[in-house]
Amino acid sequence: MLLAEGLTKSFPGVRALDGATLRLAAGSVHALLGENGAGKSTLVKILTGVYRPDAGRVVLDGRDVHFGGPLEALHAGIGVVHQERNLVPEFSIAENIALQHLPNRLGMVDRNRMRAEARRCLGLLDLDLDPDTRVAELSVAQAQLVEIAKALSVDTRVLLLDEPTASLTGDEADRLYAIVRKLTATGHAVVLVSHKLEEVFAVADTVTVLRDGRSVAEAQPLAGYTRDEIVDLMVGRAYASVELTARTVDRTATPALELAGLSTRHGHRDVSLTVARGEILGLYGLVGAGRTELAKALLGLDEITGGEVRVHGAPVRIRDVGQALRRHRIGYVPEDRKGEGLFLEQPITRNVGVTVWRRLARFGLIPDRAERDVVAEYTRLLGIRAASPAQLAGQLSGGNQQKVSLAKWLAASCDILIVDEPTVGIDVRTKAAFHELIARLAGQGMAILLISSDLPEIVTLADRIAVMGDAAVRGELANDRDYDAVSQRVIRLIHAAPVPA
Amino acid sequence: MKQEETTPEQRPPARLPLWANPRIGLVVLLIALIALFTTLRPAFLNTQLTLVPMQADISVYAVVGLSQLAVLSLGHMNMAVGRMAAMSAFASGLLHDRLDAPLLVALAGGLAVGALLGALAGLVISRTGVNSFVVTLALDFALIGLVSLLYATFTDGVAFNGLPAGMSALRTDTFADYCAGDVCGPEIPLLAPIALIAVLGVGLLFRWSRVGREVLMTGANAKAAELSGIPVRWRVVQAHALSGLLAGLAGFLLSANNGSFSAGVGDGFLLPSFLAPVLGGTLLVGGAVSVLGTVLGTAITQVIYKGLNLLQFQVDELKLYIGLVLLAALSLDRLRHVLAERRGVPA
Repeated sequence: MLLAEGLTKSFPGVRALDGATLRLAAGSVHALLGENGAGKSTLVKILTGVYRPDAGRVVLDGRDVHFGGPLEALHAGIGVVHQERNLVPEFSIAENIALQHLPNRLGMVDRNRMRAEARRCLGLLDLDLDPDTRVAELSVAQAQLVEIAKALSVDTRVLLLDEPTASLTGDEADRLYAIVRKLTATGHAVVLVSHKLEEVFAVADTVTVLRDGRSVAEAQPLAGYTRDEIVDLMVGRAYASVELTARTVDRTATPALELAGLSTRHGHRDVSLTVARGEILGLYGLVGAGRTELAKALLGLDEITGGEVRVHGAPVRIRDVGQALRRHRIGYVPEDRKGEGLFLEQPITRNVGVTVWRRLARFGLIPDRAERDVVAEYTRLLGIRAASPAQLAGQLSGGNQQKVSLAKWLAASCDILIVDEPTVGIDVRTKAAFHELIARLAGQGMAILLISSDLPEIVTLADRIAVMGDAAVRGELANDRDYDAVSQRVIRLIHAAPVPA
Repeated sequence: MKQEETTPEQRPPARLPLWANPRIGLVVLLIALIALFTTLRPAFLNTQLTLVPMQADISVYAVVGLSQLAVLSLGHMNMAVGRMAAMSAFASGLLHDRLDAPLLVALAGGLAVGALLGALAGLVISRTGVNSFVVTLALDFALIGLVSLLYATFTDGVAFNGLPAGMSALRTDTFADYCAGDVCGPEIPLLAPIALIAVLGVGLLFRWSRVGREVLMTGANAKAAELSGIPVRWRVVQAHALSGLLAGLAGFLLSANNGSFSAGVGDGFLLPSFLAPVLGGTLLVGGAVSVLGTVLGTAITQVIYKGLNLLQFQVDELKLYIGLVLLAALSLDRLRHVLAERRGVPA
């Protein structure tokens, strides 16, 4: 149905695609896999008319096509949901869905037809949302589904999904994939770009693996591969699953961080958690369960209305992040690294140094050499790959950006670290390195609260797992690292009826 | 690991061409302009007629530019620079007129008023979250009324009579008037070192001090700044207070230059306050400032003013050309950014 053959695309200094081929059949889910920088996004952007290939051709239903821009690709029936959100927050759902082809009557927008069209698209996805709702009011997961509805609003036959579940979990991802199944049943072809191999194996029929801009597996049936074989193809060398050394946690000592019956203005009720020194507590839950909000309330960014926070046994009241850092040595690596974790337009030096300036300053002035030494130390420790410390953070790859976001807290010598979704959108190899790093930090005695929607990640890293739902802790369990058993218990906790308070 | 070698972050950083370095470009432009005007009117290099007054003007407007730069660092604007200067000058004048305060006390009082007004603007902005443009514009409007009201109440016109002792020396003297034996100073007005102190102080603040850097980080990404433990609101207040303080200093320097504390001080500050930092490569979005560029930008603006003046252009024409220069500078700035982005190096 769709064939992209011998695609080549160069950017200054980088050959992003080097003769890659993608072959799609109607009615199937096709996984497009590869590490960061393998060329997946470039390929997606060529198929959707954002880039023009330097060489190669795209054939749709037996005819050569050349897209002059995204609109032409859309009208040819290729819809895409990009990794980044592309909705206008202040517009309603209906307006967003109809944005590229507003129905008009006498030159004015025909609002009734626009709403009807939006309802039809939402209906395709079994979404029960009011088309007049502003997108800004939606949850991340809902917005994601609205984007898919938008991609389906034209007569789309090929749907490209770039990391569709990066911000979804459990239920929502399942629901999304049920919809994907339904679409393929009606003759659509779906291309799925994802780092989550578990999902890929659950959903996709065929697979293309890109490495260094070339396709190393072309439209092969996925059933012929094991997970490790796919990873080998992506990485290009034998890859061992991370086996982390077991840690011993002294659970009799005073916990480093303790929440006792905490309630917040956001709506958390009676949340009790403890994290010991050298322990990783995994905080799992669906998107919207209130985990990030809990972390932010803990740092004084939202009001705590009841209960107590204890740090090393002493009750504390934290007013802001500065106080959390300086007085209690608590660091927070945010989920949204581009928006909250990094200063994209600033050099690496300043991104890492920002938390230690106070310590380095002499008479209010910061000696360059002291700052350079600190930054060099943590750049080396975390293996941040950059041309120079003066490079802007925004120019680094996702994995290196996340390391920079983490480095500033290590430089500030925190002993309690809250890490929020550390490996979203990060490739397999970097992810493994990150897991080793987090485990090593815990091994050195750091108390770590790991917020993640990636269940395999939680099972790999956590000593104990707390499951959150609707802003309350649903239950807690010890992690014996047996993925099947633990994940079943976690899922059961999520679907259990809320414990009456 | 072939792929890693070709990723952009592995290559040595490319350099921008020399002409795209804003500071060097400005120096070249400055020299070219001086050469041009000297060729057309040799009187341009006349010390008493042109060079000394021009240095005094550069001193005043460099501080005006720094006042705006202090909040541009946050990505904010201060539309009330002129009126903060006027209020500050009024305070100095009142202190001298009623309490017979000496020069330094009058100056300190004026600076305090400027800083307080700036802090007030910063406080409103950080508490309410209203855009700085709107807040300072409203403040400017209110102060226009207040300034004329105050002068009407406390003076018999629009200016105080008399200056603190020593202030007229700031206006008329240069270092050449002060000799130790046969050795006299250069032909530099006494205002210049005051402006130089301000330039060095602000430069030091944003380059090496923690507070200045944290202001810049707040400008770069307020959310990330807050989550990195920077007291964001306090930094906003501080940056605006600095802006007010520098506006006050500029008001004092202009009053010294004019020879009186009058209601008209600061009327012409707004456009030059943006012109100098933007010419010098300071971003309007915040997160990066150039103090040296601001001084160069001021120098260029004043050279153009003086040069066109000598060539007997009318005031309206002057405004037209200055406006065109600003547009050209902004276009060049945009070009520089596109280029930097394409080469993957910091602008």
